[in-house]
Amino acid sequence: MTERRPAWLLAPPGLIDYDVANEAMHTLARRRLDDEIPDSVIVLQHPPVFTAGRRAAEDELLWDEATVTARGGAVRRIDRGGSFTFHGPGQLVVYPILGLGGRPDAAAHLRRLEEVAIRTCADLGATVRRRADVQTGVWVDDEKICAIGVRLLRTRVTLHGMALNCDTDLTWFDGIVACGLPDHGVTSLTRVIGRDMRVDEVSPIAIRHVADVFGLAPTEAPDEIVRPFLAAAVA
Amino acid sequence: MTSIQMPQLGETIVEGTILKWLKSEGDQVKADEPLFEISTDKVDTEVPSPVAGTVTKLLVAEGATVPVGTAVMEIDDGSGAGGNGASAPASAPAAAPAQAATPVAEGPAEAAPPAAQTQTQQPAAPAPTAPAPSTMPDRGPRSGILSPIVRKLARERGIDLATIAGTGEGGRITKADVLAAAAPPAAGTTVAPLPSVGPAAAAVMVAAPSMPAGQGEEAQPISHIRKAIAAHMLASTQQTARAWTMVEVNVDRLVHLREDSKEKFQANFGVKLTYLPMVTRATIDALQQFPLVNSRLDGETIVTPRFVNMGIAVSYDAGLIVPVVKGADGMNTVGIARAIADLAARARSHQLQPDEVQGATFTITNPGPYGSLLSVPIINQPNAGILSLDGIQKRPVVVEDDAIAVRSMVYISMSWDHRLIDGELATRFLARVKHNLETWDFAEDLGL
Amino acid sequence: MASTTVESGAAGHGAEPRGKRSEDGQATYLIAVAEALWEEMERDERVIMLGEDIGVYGGAFKVTEGFLERFGPDRVMDTPIAEETIVGFAVGAAMEGWRPIAEFQYSDFMTSGFDEITTVLSRYHYRSGVRTPVVLRAPSGGGVRASSFHSVNPEPWFAYAGGIKIMCPAFPSDAKGLLKSAIRDDNPTLFLEHKALYRRIKEHVSEDPAALVPISSAAVKRPGDDVTIVTYGAMVHKALEAADTLAGRGISAEVVDLRTVYPIDEETVIRSIEKTSRALVLYESFHFLGIGAEVASVIAEKAFEHLDAPVMRLAPPNHPVPFSPPLEDAFLPQVADIEAAVDRLSAW
Repeated sequence: MTERRPAWLLAPPGLIDYDVANEAMHTLARRRLDDEIPDSVIVLQHPPVFTAGRRAAEDELLWDEATVTARGGAVRRIDRGGSFTFHGPGQLVVYPILGLGGRPDAAAHLRRLEEVAIRTCADLGATVRRRADVQTGVWVDDEKICAIGVRLLRTRVTLHGMALNCDTDLTWFDGIVACGLPDHGVTSLTRVIGRDMRVDEVSPIAIRHVADVFGLAPTEAPDEIVRPFLAAAVA
Repeated sequence: MTSIQMPQLGETIVEGTILKWLKSEGDQVKADEPLFEISTDKVDTEVPSPVAGTVTKLLVAEGATVPVGTAVMEIDDGSGAGGNGASAPASAPAAAPAQAATPVAEGPAEAAPPAAQTQTQQPAAPAPTAPAPSTMPDRGPRSGILSPIVRKLARERGIDLATIAGTGEGGRITKADVLAAAAPPAAGTTVAPLPSVGPAAAAVMVAAPSMPAGQGEEAQPISHIRKAIAAHMLASTQQTARAWTMVEVNVDRLVHLREDSKEKFQANFGVKLTYLPMVTRATIDALQQFPLVNSRLDGETIVTPRFVNMGIAVSYDAGLIVPVVKGADGMNTVGIARAIADLAARARSHQLQPDEVQGATFTITNPGPYGSLLSVPIINQPNAGILSLDGIQKRPVVVEDDAIAVRSMVYISMSWDHRLIDGELATRFLARVKHNLETWDFAEDLGL
Repeated sequence: MASTTVESGAAGHGAEPRGKRSEDGQATYLIAVAEALWEEMERDERVIMLGEDIGVYGGAFKVTEGFLERFGPDRVMDTPIAEETIVGFAVGAAMEGWRPIAEFQYSDFMTSGFDEITTVLSRYHYRSGVRTPVVLRAPSGGGVRASSFHSVNPEPWFAYAGGIKIMCPAFPSDAKGLLKSAIRDDNPTLFLEHKALYRRIKEHVSEDPAALVPISSAAVKRPGDDVTIVTYGAMVHKALEAADTLAGRGISAEVVDLRTVYPIDEETVIRSIEKTSRALVLYESFHFLGIGAEVASVIAEKAFEHLDAPVMRLAPPNHPVPFSPPLEDAFLPQVADIEAAVDRLSAW
């Protein structure tokens, strides 16, 4: 029985505004950097938003701003790597804020995020896989079911994470060249398994695999840690 | 001066792109303050500074993509010229401090104090005012935690802990880190100035063609100890006129004696009975009969000690080390066995004192237990010879009356310096060792 | 050290314990204890034995089988269930020049004679100058599904008294040599025999009646370089097992068997910490105030400058020994727990 690292679990219900969540996540990461708090794992959903990494090309956003806003979405440039992606209702988003230790291995962290997605999908009956020949993420044939994007704070603490399509409205992805790959599409658990896969059903399974894969012993985060996220709930 | 490199963020990440400089030339930086933003094919991050100081040079342009390990920036942190750099905490631990970068001398005849000699002084004289790091550079959240043994070792060996990047959790400097930084130099480099040991050897080492690691290969920097061993071996091979002689010894009686009495010996004396102490004792007698083999050449003077300090080569996790049984000529076989067992154990646990690896007048190496039949060792300078005890094997041999019988035999050989001794002497010396081993009754000397 | 099960009971093999060794001459822990008692009874006629069921029945664990027949009822006495009286009798006899060995059927019952042990036996020489060479012996320890009335490790209670030397051997040869030393020592001594080891451990034990193991001398049962595990009793064997697995992971653990838990051999312990700089104190007496708490203090106090990590302790909580097997297993430190503790210690 090997020791697991204690970690805080934040699972605010509803749709959490992207900006506030991003800001709160960075605050947690800075406190983790200073060893003030333990590792934490944030599990949530966002209202519709397109996010782009710093090197994403502008022309990967296919809809103009008016169209996006009319549909109730937003666009954000953020500090992770990678291209345009979409977050929205029906998509399980997991942000592990972990200290990587003296010799950070970012590639290993990404592989572990992929592993969490693979195991979660397998438990639900969907066989998915990595495709090192294409891009980080988790795939069903040529379609991505889980996007992964990570940033490190001072090379030592992880930010952002993974986004697994459960019963996401996939028409949103028509608005972007998803992950910068024009020849590849996206899919979801609902589409692959053939029944409505709600985030509530997938979330506990994913949390368990996050704990196993990253060697964490999660406990509920203190109220004042979760409060900023709860305050940002949109729906 | 600290050189900042493109950090290694994971084994498979081989290059990074500088997205944006966060500091310009001339800017002050604090420890752990972000210096620049990078993007790799896996992750983006900002890279923090390992030291406090002033940015002196940006070596690469924004937008440039460079391999991991490339120097991209220089920071003046007051550590003086020639420091070869801590990189961002993500990289492998920083290499040794300034002494590793001693300028390389051109001519081999110069008796410039070699880098090796600087190492001699440090462990020999633990200064009460050993440099206390006033500010420890931030190399991780726990790099400032100095455990009691780390502080004690640093104090005793005069090590500035600010120059060590810890390999412990969170960048903590561990006992092993300090021991690795302060390992007693391999024998030979600690003896009084040898003409051009360090720099000349270093010069030749540096001139070797470079073949960095490629696809499917791993790379790691060599340790101080390996560096010192390399320099010593190279110097010995270049400076001595090495010749080699071997004899075959019938050790049947010794094997029987050992088999019969090893348990009693262990019970009486608490150490295992091996052949090495017996061979050592026999060799000491031969050295006393042929003192020239116990001598050294100092310039144009032959120095002949009246005592025997026997170096015993010990292999351990960091490489090779030669602890010395001082005054071995005054010991019987039991005393030698005990001394060897103690030195070997402490060598392997990195607990030898500097004076315990200096001053050998002759050296014995014993690769036999590892399975060798015959070896050609390199002389442990400044000795005149080194004796190798190889593996004992049962062989068919010719005995009295031209009969053939099976006996335990062993090849004992010696590499010797032809500048000092000649073939006849070397051979007679070995013959004496052989004679001793074949005729002495060790039982009494072993207290059995 | 082999830990094979010898046929239980060992009855009818001959009265003398040495006749009960295995075919290749090895003795179980139990037989080693019996041999020590027998040899000392033969050597010195002042040595007498008393306890519940030790005579006619041969002892609850059959340690003293055959003793009554050999030494007679004047020297091998069956007593009523009266621990206080057993100790009191022993003290009185000792004052009169006898060298009594008082057995408790289980160490758990010693506390029925607590006052006689702590107020009288441990202090008598200090108060009156009269020596009381009493040996108290008892089967102790858990891990045998005997629950909280038959599994206690009482050594901390009696170490506290200050006037009693306490031994907890882990190996048969140590058991024999130490018990003999205890019987020959003029001080009150407490010899605790771990019942889980009685029949589970055997080894070659000296047949020389003069072979003694000194009291208050620890022994390095497995040399190592990276981490020191200081322990005693049944935990020594678990530590050795963990050390084997850890060696496969590149962690070299040195196992120091205290053998005597009061007074402890500080020098051996500190010498080990000087080598490894990392200490795990593993003990079966309870975490708070158990023997290991003292050992950890000594290390912190006297080997501070050699430490590369905080001193760690691993012991069961201060709680009754559970009866349910999975609960008892969770209660006692297991090999996996020791490995995990060493992993944490090495990574500090």
